[in-house]
Amino acid sequence: MEKKNAVLSLYPTTKLLMILLFAISVFIIPNYLFGYAIFFVCLLIAAIGSVTKEFANLTIKGLFSLSVLIFVLQSFFYPGTHVLWEWSFLAITQEGVDFALGLTSKIIAVGSSLILFFRITPVKDFVYSLEVLGLSPKATYVVLSTLTIIPEMKKSSQIIMDAQKTRGVETEGSLMVRLKALLPMITPLVLSSVASTEERAMALEARGFTVNKRKTSIYSIEKTGRDSFIRVMLLVILILLIVWRVAL
Amino acid sequence: MSYIEMKGISYKYPVGDGKVLKDVNLSLEKGKVYALIGANGSGKTTICNLIRGFIPHFFKGDLDGEMLIEGKDIREWEMGDLAQKMGYIFQNPFTQISGTKDTVFEEIAFGLENLRVEVPVIKERVTEIIKLFGLEPLQNKDPQQLSGGQRQRVSLASVMVMDPEILIIDEPTSQLDPQATEEVFKIINIMKQKGKTIILVEHKIELIAEYADWVILVEDGKVVMEGKTKDILSDIKTVNHGVMLPQYALLGYEMRKTGRLNEIPITESEAITVFNNWIVGKEE
Ligand SMILES: Nc1ncnc2c1ncn2[C@@H]1O[C@H](COP(=O)(O)OP(=O)(O)OP(=O)(O)O)[C@@H](O)[C@H]1O
Ligand SMILES: [Mg+2]
Repeated sequence: MEKKNAVLSLYPTTKLLMILLFAISVFIIPNYLFGYAIFFVCLLIAAIGSVTKEFANLTIKGLFSLSVLIFVLQSFFYPGTHVLWEWSFLAITQEGVDFALGLTSKIIAVGSSLILFFRITPVKDFVYSLEVLGLSPKATYVVLSTLTIIPEMKKSSQIIMDAQKTRGVETEGSLMVRLKALLPMITPLVLSSVASTEERAMALEARGFTVNKRKTSIYSIEKTGRDSFIRVMLLVILILLIVWRVAL
Repeated sequence: MSYIEMKGISYKYPVGDGKVLKDVNLSLEKGKVYALIGANGSGKTTICNLIRGFIPHFFKGDLDGEMLIEGKDIREWEMGDLAQKMGYIFQNPFTQISGTKDTVFEEIAFGLENLRVEVPVIKERVTEIIKLFGLEPLQNKDPQQLSGGQRQRVSLASVMVMDPEILIIDEPTSQLDPQATEEVFKIINIMKQKGKTIILVEHKIELIAEYADWVILVEDGKVVMEGKTKDILSDIKTVNHGVMLPQYALLGYEMRKTGRLNEIPITESEAITVFNNWIVGKEE
């Protein structure tokens, strides 16, 4: 991880505060254009953090398709009287479009802020900062290990799949074929996961995981002057937004 | 008072039928290397779980008899104290990586962090252990991406760095090539020299002949033979209980058929002396 990068090197909670400000701001300034603008702000920050590709990938594939769906549904079904377009029982109303714009702009602003946060913050750093704030290591362990166990489960499901393929079970083709192949896989996957969870718990115990509530850590990240500066800036922006809202 | 003692232990796991341990009596002294041998499913791992207190603290089930560590019943020991006293290396190397660390160095440091050791001391001790184990080329790798053998060596290092008094090691070499196996046993020997008490499960009988002080032979949940390594591994009765004798001992028995052989050797160096004497004796 590039530590000198202006965005990436910020302390995790600074990044979190920034993202929180983005998310809250769309509720302070209700204009939908403002909400959509937040996406571009996030994009800019992603670019500075040189994670543009990952960020764009997730927002476009996930967030935008979801927003388009919500937009269409809301503009058709939101009750209203100013009909813009009509076909048999379907009608788009002005109220529906307004509501859909407002809603999707908020979803996009909050969604892209969250995606940005996890693109620019390694989970390990985030968890470390939470532990510093006093979150119990047991809770943070659950978060961290789940994130690392998912790829392991993927790997073992691939192994089981391959084993079944060699035994002649069809695993490719239509949806029905795939579903059929999935069923016999679930049992060994779940069973082996449960068994290894038990062993993992013992292995953790063996290494003193439950001995102390607080632990030392050889990994550490520090806040810098830039963090304080950004935090002050965020506060100023928040105040300006509120002033703007009141003046509007 | 024995250091580690089992008196009339019987145990049945919560699931599964029948007793897995049947009236086991053992008494272990401080500073010795004990080898637990026996066929698959005979109960070796179960005995390890019991000594470490995973039975009954982790596995419930029916436990009868007394399991004492320094004269105190295992049920009365705090799990935290047991964790500091005994290091446990599990049979399966794939489940003992903590799963939260990015590098082998941090992985090895995990136990010491849990024990609240100061950061500079941790770094020093981890660096030392990495050197002892020759893990330098791996220290910046992701522990999740190691091979079975590499994981096994990292797990061993992760436990030894915590410097426990007692080491319970369940088949440390199942995934290792001959050279790495040899190296692991050299480390076990270093631990012995440091005065650690070591309980070792191992199928490679030649290594046991070389390194263990005392052998405990388990069959079907019972201790069927125990004694000095030399006595057990040169006793032909041992093969009736599902374990092989060392090659040198088998050869010794073959040679005995053709003539006088005072002693059955179990290690390479013993074999050289015994067979040399035998040749000299023939020529006379
Ligand atoms: N968690 C468990 N629950 C129920 N039964 C178990 C459990 N673990 C082991 N057993 C049973 O207890 C018996 C002894 O098992 P144990 O694992 O102690 O054998 P082992 O001597 O270590 O064998 P191996 O050489 O294969 O490691 C076996 O019959 C096994 O099926
Ligand atoms: Mg075993």
